Amino acid sequence: MSDQAESKPINKPSNKWLLPIILSLMTLFTSGLLMLSNHLTADKIAAIKLANKLASLQRLIPNELIDNDLLADAQMIYEPIKLGHRQEETLYLGKTNGRLTFMAIPVIARDGYSGDIELLVGVKVGGDDGGQITTVEIIAHKETPGLGDLIEPEKSDWIQQFPSKSLGSPPENQWKVKKDQGTFHQITAATITPRAVVSAIKQALLYHRQYLDDEVSES
Amino acid sequence: MNEFIRTRLLDNNAALVQMLGLCPLLAVSNTAINALGMGLATIVVVVVTNLLVSLIRPITKKEIRIPLFVLLIASVVTTLEMMMNAYFHQLYLTLGIFIPLIVTNCLIMARAEAFASKNAWLISVKDGFFVGLGFALVMFVIGIMREVIGQGTLFSQAHLLFGQWGHFIELTLFPNYDGFLLAILPPGAFFALAILVAIKNKRDMKIKASHTTIVSHD
Repeated sequence: MSDQAESKPINKPSNKWLLPIILSLMTLFTSGLLMLSNHLTADKIAAIKLANKLASLQRLIPNELIDNDLLADAQMIYEPIKLGHRQEETLYLGKTNGRLTFMAIPVIARDGYSGDIELLVGVKVGGDDGGQITTVEIIAHKETPGLGDLIEPEKSDWIQQFPSKSLGSPPENQWKVKKDQGTFHQITAATITPRAVVSAIKQALLYHRQYLDDEVSES
Repeated sequence: MNEFIRTRLLDNNAALVQMLGLCPLLAVSNTAINALGMGLATIVVVVVTNLLVSLIRPITKKEIRIPLFVLLIASVVTTLEMMMNAYFHQLYLTLGIFIPLIVTNCLIMARAEAFASKNAWLISVKDGFFVGLGFALVMFVIGIMREVIGQGTLFSQAHLLFGQWGHFIELTLFPNYDGFLLAILPPGAFFALAILVAIKNKRDMKIKASHTTIVSHD
């Protein structure tokens, strides 16, 4: 290539006082660039995040079926053992006439193929279909592109098998992937990710049941 | 095609000959669309960094040129990441962790050091564009090979890059194809790259052979 076309003459060593000054100026300049682009994009990114969050909450807890403010009534919970939390997470409670009708439970599967898989599991409370899953949202994951990421709804309909399932249907000991003699389909060539997600959803349902038991015993 | 463009696209292709930037080349080429998205992002980064490196030549001293380039490249990539997050959010979600990894693409450092630090801004921008294009094309071809063999589809998830009408070019080439896992996993990337390098070398040898025959006839 013509890279050598215009090679510089070999300079004598530069003034040693000049070098740190140039580096500092450059650092200032690049910091300014980053501040500017952060300033230009921060609001937009925050808006997108909020919109995504509201959209996924709407799928978890249908807005028209509740009458409270989800964001205002949310609870902070920390369940490192039951739900795999690494910090406080938000539990969303949907209410109708002051009675609890929906929950969106944050759960983290720590046993995925690479890193944590963060989920929100929507569950109905009370009524004939109490305990049934409304939907499962994948909040964040780092699974292998093309394999483990098939848990994402945009990439495959794998996650669609969970709505309206509950701890009774299928029976509790069937909450596994087919490879482990359970009910749920796995993803070809990627068993670890589905196994982790199924078990995390089961944990969320168990938490939901215990939460209601605690509430009854408290009142 | 003139000499300047041909060396960059073909004869001295960054991926096939110089073997630069193998990390993104191998990691994100599992589908044609991922490869295309990453290729485009790489072109943008190498053009912008070449421009900036060329513009700061007056204050670039040889003792501190590497930290200066690193600073510039890192800030350009971070800016691009924020812009994509804000304006191409879907694509940002797909390419995910690979955007920050553009920083580690030695292709960008190589062009800054070997070309842009010694040439005027316009020619540096051209250099960045064609070197980046050469890289992106190889990446795209590897993406096509791996996707067709691995999943039996072509341009799946194109809507993430092109919006709604992207659905029209999403093709399933072999219905009920079981998939060929090796092509999707990292080894598939090495095999695909090796095949392309072999084809390129074969072509080079042919050209060389035809040249020598002409010479010997003289």
